[in-house]
Amino acid sequence: MKYARPRLTVLVLAGLALVSLAGLGVGAPAAGGAAPATLTVGLDQEPPTLDPAASPSAVTYQIITDVAENLLYQDLGGKLLPWLASSYKVSPDGKSFTFTLRQDAKFTDGAPVDAAAVKWNFDRIVNPNFKAGGALASLSGYAGSTVVDPYTVQVNFKEPYAPFLTYVAGGTLSLISPKTTPTQGDAVNQKPVGSGRFIVSEYVPKDHVTLVRNAGYTRRPPYSSHQGPAGVDRIVWKFIPEAGTRVTTVESGETQMISFLSTPAAELTRLQANRALRVEKNPYPGAPRIWLLNVRKAPTNDLKVRQAILYGINRAAVADSVYRGLGTVACAPLTQHTLATPALCAKYKYDPKKAAQLLDEDGWKMGPNNVRMKNGQPLTIEINSINYGSGNLPEVELIQGQLLQLGVDAKIKSQARPPWYEDNFHCATNGPVMFLRSTDWDGLFALFGSQNVGGNFNWSCYANPAADKLIAEGRAVFDPAKRRSVYTQLETMLMDDAVAVPLVDELSVWVIRNTVHDTTYNFSTYPVLGDVTIK
Amino acid sequence: MARYIAGRLLVTIPVVVGVTLAVFSMLYLIPGDPVKMMLSEFETNPAQIARMRAQLRLNEPFVQQYGQFVWNAARGNLGESIRDRRPVATEIRELFPSTVQLALSALIFSIALGVPLGLLAAIRQNSWADVGAMMAARIGVSMPSFWLGLLLIFVFSLQLGLLPATGGGGIDHLLMPAFALGAGAAAITAALTRSSMLEVLRMDYMTTARAKGLAGAAVILRHGLANALIPIVTIFGLQAGQLLAGAVIIETVFGRPGIGQLLVAAILNKDFPLVQGVVLFVAIVYVLINLAVDVAYAAIDPRIRYG
Repeated sequence: MKYARPRLTVLVLAGLALVSLAGLGVGAPAAGGAAPATLTVGLDQEPPTLDPAASPSAVTYQIITDVAENLLYQDLGGKLLPWLASSYKVSPDGKSFTFTLRQDAKFTDGAPVDAAAVKWNFDRIVNPNFKAGGALASLSGYAGSTVVDPYTVQVNFKEPYAPFLTYVAGGTLSLISPKTTPTQGDAVNQKPVGSGRFIVSEYVPKDHVTLVRNAGYTRRPPYSSHQGPAGVDRIVWKFIPEAGTRVTTVESGETQMISFLSTPAAELTRLQANRALRVEKNPYPGAPRIWLLNVRKAPTNDLKVRQAILYGINRAAVADSVYRGLGTVACAPLTQHTLATPALCAKYKYDPKKAAQLLDEDGWKMGPNNVRMKNGQPLTIEINSINYGSGNLPEVELIQGQLLQLGVDAKIKSQARPPWYEDNFHCATNGPVMFLRSTDWDGLFALFGSQNVGGNFNWSCYANPAADKLIAEGRAVFDPAKRRSVYTQLETMLMDDAVAVPLVDELSVWVIRNTVHDTTYNFSTYPVLGDVTIK
Repeated sequence: MARYIAGRLLVTIPVVVGVTLAVFSMLYLIPGDPVKMMLSEFETNPAQIARMRAQLRLNEPFVQQYGQFVWNAARGNLGESIRDRRPVATEIRELFPSTVQLALSALIFSIALGVPLGLLAAIRQNSWADVGAMMAARIGVSMPSFWLGLLLIFVFSLQLGLLPATGGGGIDHLLMPAFALGAGAAAITAALTRSSMLEVLRMDYMTTARAKGLAGAAVILRHGLANALIPIVTIFGLQAGQLLAGAVIIETVFGRPGIGQLLVAAILNKDFPLVQGVVLFVAIVYVLINLAVDVAYAAIDPRIRYG
């Protein structure tokens, strides 16, 4: 009996440990029945909301591509195809768009996808009491919608608005149910009701979102090879912020597909050598990884200095050594996939001698410590570098080294997102290194429209009436060839003014197990998984 | 006892006031306009900016704003997350159980491993068992938890395929995060148990117990460990706080839901109400844990007088 208490103590401790580990478990594998075909996808972050109208984040649209549908669909090549709208026409003045809707489309709560539903969705976005995300910019100049008949809706704008045709095919303007949404309050952020091949069934914060197959889906989406419901029973989108862990899950089979975002490029070679996996890469639309040069702050307020920087940076070295297969050399403020501009690729070829000559002509003579001087002042440039917590972006450090060879003392202002934004709003540095995804050439409006100085995203602080005129013209012209010509002129003007250093046209990369078939992507490079099967 | 607890509670008041002041001042310590930064991802108009400013009471005097913040917090109203658009208190309430599950499992693991290891090292002082146990403890304490976490994922998920690397859920999702988080605490517990036990073993009452004819194990456990536990219990309080802090890293490494991951995401997304709410909540939990330890300390050691 003397030993009873110590033994009891040990037993209690061991029992306590087991109870804590087992008893606190909040979930267990489902028992019985055939396992549903589940595709588990690893994402780098959790979306702030799944409400397409409210979200400022691309993650939202990756998840709901197969939940909420659009009037039009833009395929990976950029071609616009009918989706919930069977056809459309544009008024001669370019201010009104009339969509004829399919009559067999229903939201998963049974409400019809009709003209009133389209109007309700768009009116909700511009409602001043609603905190809209990227959707508000997509409806720039919205003047209201008119229900012409139950399945015909006219969307009106104050000014001609050609980019609307691509924006209406983007995730921000995907449609959710006017029947359920007003009744569900904040729950719309976690379980929006769409008309697509999947329904959001479960949302576990900081863990995962589960979509289940919409068995009542009868149509053939424009991306699909077949009519009717999706190929898998469930899609589980898991949030795995740590890149190394995310990669491990696809290698072990815990996930079948992962986003390669924020993963070191060096990992790609190893994954490509793994026979159980395949790597799918697609070019992002919009602006490349780009250094916007602040044209208001010395010394980048001097055209010759900006041109010297463009000649003096070896962009191929950035693409090869930092991106290693995750991008190609950029030539212009829009990626070559978005708007091919071969002439601009020939401009500003890496030429350190020409860069040095331009600086010499401008009075910046080589001084002590390999830094150029003018009127007793060193040639110092401050790069605004966003720091996500793991140090400087490697491309910024490479640029710093290349500029030093040119005699430019580039200082990296490495900071977290809040002060990084603040400096950009105030044109306080010589410009940030950033990127911008846009499905239309009109993305140049956000980057270089004079009204966006001090806001998002004209961080070159560039205000040029001639450029503003071309931006307005690009919104008014509908003919694709003429539009191309306008935006090519605009890009040429921007590069003549040397307002930015385009660095790398980045690729969207997904790593997928070979058991997963029939993945496809939309123009935004978001995976479209309605056709996927697992074998 | 009640007077002692009341006294300790009184002492925590200035600490909690200090915490609320520090948390509230965050909004003022960052450079620039907080509203503009919070809404930088959104398309906003001046009316929305004005509404947000009014919602955060930024137009009112500092003292008034602070008073309102404390009053709201005391009623459980920590504001609304800007990015997630949900009440901060709701987000904390949803995720805190998962963090507690992780921290508690790590704590129990650290006790279950650390105490026996320290005990073994003490009673077999200067033997191979002692050297081995203390070497394991030093390795444990010097190994960063995130690195150990990645190592565990590499071995048990990728190479052996035994455990899932990510997510919340059942015990299989908990084992590796709990081990990674608790390893450092186990090492500290082992070292402390050893030194505390060595001290106790030299005491006269231990000799007396042996002289009375008690068997070795009973002397060690009932007379030795019971007395050696006092400083160890104190360290549990500190460790509980550190485990909550460590959960920030471990939850991110293992993609596990919890307030650690919530805090990291809030910081990265400049979601100030959420950062304020989580920091305030964790700080108060930390204060309460230390209070509980102080009370337990007094209860375990009869030499400590209440009052």
